[in-house]
Amino acid sequence: MGEILNFANVELYYDHVYALKGVSLTVSEGETVALIGANGAGKSSILRAITGLRKIRSGEIHYEGKRIDGLDPSAIVKAGIAMVPEGRRVFPYMTVRDNLLMGAFTRSDKAEIAGSLEMVLGRFPRLKERFSQAAGTMSGGEQQMLVIGRALMAKPKLLLLDEPSLGVAPKLVQDIARSIVAINRDERVSVLLVEQNSRMALRISQRAYALTTGAIALSGNSADLLKDDRVQRLYLGGEL
Amino acid sequence: MEQVIVNGFYLGAQYALIALGLTLIFALMNVLNFAHGQMYVLGGFISYTIYGKLGLPFVVALISSGVTLAIVGALFERFLFRTVIKRSLREESTMLLAAATAFFLDAVILLLFGEKQRGVPKIVKGVYNDGNLIMPYDRMVVGILAIAFIAGFILYMKYSRPGRAMRALAQDRVAAQLMGVEVDRYTMIGFALGAMLAGIVGGLLVAITGINSGIGGPISIKAFLMVMIGGAGVVGGAIAGGFILGMLESVGLTVLREFGDVTYLVIFAALMVFLSIRPNGLMGKPWG
Repeated sequence: MGEILNFANVELYYDHVYALKGVSLTVSEGETVALIGANGAGKSSILRAITGLRKIRSGEIHYEGKRIDGLDPSAIVKAGIAMVPEGRRVFPYMTVRDNLLMGAFTRSDKAEIAGSLEMVLGRFPRLKERFSQAAGTMSGGEQQMLVIGRALMAKPKLLLLDEPSLGVAPKLVQDIARSIVAINRDERVSVLLVEQNSRMALRISQRAYALTTGAIALSGNSADLLKDDRVQRLYLGGEL
Repeated sequence: MEQVIVNGFYLGAQYALIALGLTLIFALMNVLNFAHGQMYVLGGFISYTIYGKLGLPFVVALISSGVTLAIVGALFERFLFRTVIKRSLREESTMLLAAATAFFLDAVILLLFGEKQRGVPKIVKGVYNDGNLIMPYDRMVVGILAIAFIAGFILYMKYSRPGRAMRALAQDRVAAQLMGVEVDRYTMIGFALGAMLAGIVGGLLVAITGINSGIGGPISIKAFLMVMIGGAGVVGGAIAGGFILGMLESVGLTVLREFGDVTYLVIFAALMVFLSIRPNGLMGKPWG
């Protein structure tokens, strides 16, 4: 399995405050990797650096062997990286259909786009029911399905998910976790998952990195981390 | 009464087209284009020169107004607004810049075209008159063209690729970037399109009311009024605001005639009350 993403010694600052101080991580093809850690530890900053939404101060980011740091977000999306941003961020006054088609903005083959649309609607039947509804009028869980579906419309090779369980009803968290596993398996998409629900993240990923204040504190196989004392204490709140 | 409504409708179509350009730029960039009225005036003078002075067909004049203003808009965005937005930390910077572009265009227009009121030969002769409704044919043509442009703009925003990109940008800038929308490119297209609409209305109305270099400011104020009535950044709001202001003006000029020139005084006073009740206008939401 080759490396799809190599994130090496990255430093990122917001004005004069650091968010990442020398973070390195990798994602292999077909893998699901989780990033866990407290609020403000820098998890989301890693995703923003990968997509080019934030410029990094130093370090290098390679995707499929090519350097991508410094590129415009649109070029990075085109290369095959899609991101589900935190807080859902649907286009509220567009219909579900138009939201999904926006996901395929960088693609031009109409037949292939139609195929992806079918795949997404098959995966999230609720979106089919709401197809012509304005996205802003849907429930939080439905909106979360929509933004995941929208990201899949780009036909990504690497999918970045920022807090997909945040603000979603507990019952739906299970559904979302299941669909992430299914997407990773069926669509052969590598996944980099940022989650404050550490237990869920560790259960559905193969490897994980734990962050504290802009640096990686621990990393390893998710199954091992789930049993690790320090992870138990710091990220899982003690109880099993 | 029918006459007043028809006049209001005719005026409203022009106003709506002006407001659409202004609201598009606001929705995309959060910039209030103070130079919108001046862009209208420039469009008017270009049509005056090509149709009135050179005697070329009116259609050619109208296209020239639109294209010239689209280029002016694109250049303004690329070299002025983009640089300032990228580098400034405060929102007032773009406000000052917008005001400066308005003064700049005022000066350029005065220099190139002088201070005289200019008119052009009628584009269509004759008047429709059935006893209780009087409407010159040229006004009808201009009114229908304005409505066609509004319809064209709505279809473009809804179904074209750039239209969808601009709507996405207006609704959620970050999410649009994550879809691969090139922000710089579509912001420039949006500014050019907004400026083009202003130029087209100027070109249309030179055929009816003529043009002079002093009306840029007042037109901008009217455009702000419409956008405030309808709700900033919303297509439906701009159209509603345009038609409402057109209708108010038409009714006011008839009903309040005996009190002198007070229509706009009444409109401004009413707007203050209205905005204190509904500060976001009729449809205060980011984009529809």
